[in-house]
Amino acid sequence: MIKGYAGRVLEVDLGNRSFAFRPLDEEVARLYIGGKGYGTRLLYDRTVAGIDPLGPENLLIFATGPLNGSVAPQSNRFAVVCKSPLTGGIGNATCGGSFALGMKKAGIDVLVVSNCSATPVRLEIDGDRDQVLFHDAADLWGKGTYATQAALGKKQYHAVIGPAGENQVLFAGIVSNERIAGRTGVGAVMGSKKLKAVSVTGSRKLDMDDPEKFKEYTKEVRKIFKDHPVLGESMKRFGTGAIVNTTNARNILPTRNFQRGSFSEAMNISGEYLEEHGLVGVKTSCIHCPVTCGRDVEVEGVGRVKGPEYETLALMGSNLEIGDLKKVSEWNYWADDMGMDTISLGATLSFAMELHERGILDAGIEFGDPAGVTELIRDIGHRRGLGDELANGTRRMSAKYGGAAFAMHVKGLELSAYDPRGSFAQGVEYATTNRGGCHVQGASMYMESVGPLTINPQNLKMKAEIPIVQQNLACAINSMVLCIFTTYGIVPKAVHQMDPNSLTYRALVLAFENMGPLLRRVMSMKGPPMLWFEKWLTFITGEKFSGGHLQEIGARIFNLERMYNLREGFTAADDTLPPRMLHEPIFKHMSSGHPLDQLLPRYYRKRGWGPDGVPTQRTLERLQVQV
Amino acid sequence: MSVTIQLTYEMSKVLGAPRLEVEGARNVAEAIEQVRSRFGELGGEFEKLTRVAAVAVNGVLASYRRGARTPLEDGDVVAFVKAAAGG
Repeated sequence: MIKGYAGRVLEVDLGNRSFAFRPLDEEVARLYIGGKGYGTRLLYDRTVAGIDPLGPENLLIFATGPLNGSVAPQSNRFAVVCKSPLTGGIGNATCGGSFALGMKKAGIDVLVVSNCSATPVRLEIDGDRDQVLFHDAADLWGKGTYATQAALGKKQYHAVIGPAGENQVLFAGIVSNERIAGRTGVGAVMGSKKLKAVSVTGSRKLDMDDPEKFKEYTKEVRKIFKDHPVLGESMKRFGTGAIVNTTNARNILPTRNFQRGSFSEAMNISGEYLEEHGLVGVKTSCIHCPVTCGRDVEVEGVGRVKGPEYETLALMGSNLEIGDLKKVSEWNYWADDMGMDTISLGATLSFAMELHERGILDAGIEFGDPAGVTELIRDIGHRRGLGDELANGTRRMSAKYGGAAFAMHVKGLELSAYDPRGSFAQGVEYATTNRGGCHVQGASMYMESVGPLTINPQNLKMKAEIPIVQQNLACAINSMVLCIFTTYGIVPKAVHQMDPNSLTYRALVLAFENMGPLLRRVMSMKGPPMLWFEKWLTFITGEKFSGGHLQEIGARIFNLERMYNLREGFTAADDTLPPRMLHEPIFKHMSSGHPLDQLLPRYYRKRGWGPDGVPTQRTLERLQVQV
Repeated sequence: MSVTIQLTYEMSKVLGAPRLEVEGARNVAEAIEQVRSRFGELGGEFEKLTRVAAVAVNGVLASYRRGARTPLEDGDVVAFVKAAAGG
């Protein structure tokens, strides 16, 4: 077995309450690393097209990678893969917390849950005894994620759902500690299986190829992170909310259901404001992560809980025109406790507000007014009243009530908090990402509109190339499994410290913007490992990983996801943006929206796909994607 | 002619407001100069803060247009932008 893996896949059948440990497929691990990649391969091979995502045929796959169980910073994440009930295509999400460490300690690389239980159940997995216990979970059913984890105790590592998952809210997530695998409705799939919680324990240690080198190098990386302006300073001080003022200034902060790109009260929901007014002094992190991007806040009547991150501050703050940090923190708490994705939740609420504003639906909630929102969030989690309809997300709501022009989703997944009209590469990424409109499947916006070395985000240069490189990298990162924030460290400190108005900086930006095909060539070079995650993978597994290897593996995973979606009936017509994004200008100098029609053909070509968006046989063979 | 200046958080702490209005600035350089004058004796602090901030006009970085000479119109928003990362 390759080092870094436990070498075991645990298969659990909830229908007949049986389980079996099987060997990890080494060839699949070599081709797909682990995490999202391995999970996607399993899902593709073991399910057929057209299955009901909330039926017994769907698989719920928890997958770790070779970096999990090490002390590498930002390495405590696991991936969940299944068919998405929200999009009908590939579903996946990754999550921090502690469950990934628990799985590796239990000696499990991948956990595959099949079939459905007739009654609420929870799993207790003891990796040292090779034992899986099926416990009745009726006593936990109905409890929030906080109370559920408290009831399960601290001796094991847990992944749980809240009422939203139980009630199959289509954007329900799976929670570990205070972190959530939020996107694509993975929690609804867990709920459909009547699986309330998975708890793991064990005492195994990660077997590395070169533990000494790993240890020494990790010390160095911790130092690099500590000195880094984003990972060691901005994230540490302000959390991800540090970006609110930046997106606001760049006119890409979703406001009033993306009707505008800036919000007059943005500063009041920013990370800086949070530090000064809302933070109670505790900054939190996933295990082994020195970045500490999480921070606690005080919520009235609840106590100290995890505070909102950027996506929540934007989608449930500015996008609802709410500049009250306390309210957003309260809603964030309820979403976490119910186990819901705050991106889809916020976008669905803003869609309901616009329906209300236009007199299409009496939703009882209005932009700029927090009245009724808390109750509606809880109603969504419990599928009560109007909440039952909103629990199906914006695409289904627009199919029923109309308003497709301002239903802010791609492939059924609600858009994240970067308006693509001011971030063209991000728009291409939203349109083409296999799980739908999400930012952490590439984070192209960091390279063009919010990061330290931003190119002009509103011309066509590099806007097809950047998403490809970034999507491939994200696929690899999500298969190790590492936090995507690690990529923020790639731009060195020296660049961050440059005066953005200086000639040197502008020359650098110009050079970057005009790299053209050179970017992908450079990124695809297979040489010695350079970046920390390439070195960690090399030291842990004993296999050679460079940027070029990761681009190839990432492309393989991305194309397999693509083939999964095509098998489910998706076409090039699904690679689009909401009509508001394509046709409504929000910049003074623009007469329309995002120029997707000019960029998509180039993107397809560079991906090695035909004009119909289907990967060519040659591309699949080159990447060794077996379908 | 009135232009809105959107400050960074640090600048707003010094001046006591997230935004301010300036009158008669014909281009970015003149708008920045007016903000600098509001800092008064703390001009050094302003210099420090602008070294890590780019300037955007209506959401578009001035460096993509004519830099400090980018012309302004009535109702424009000039924002100081710091690079950041979120998720």
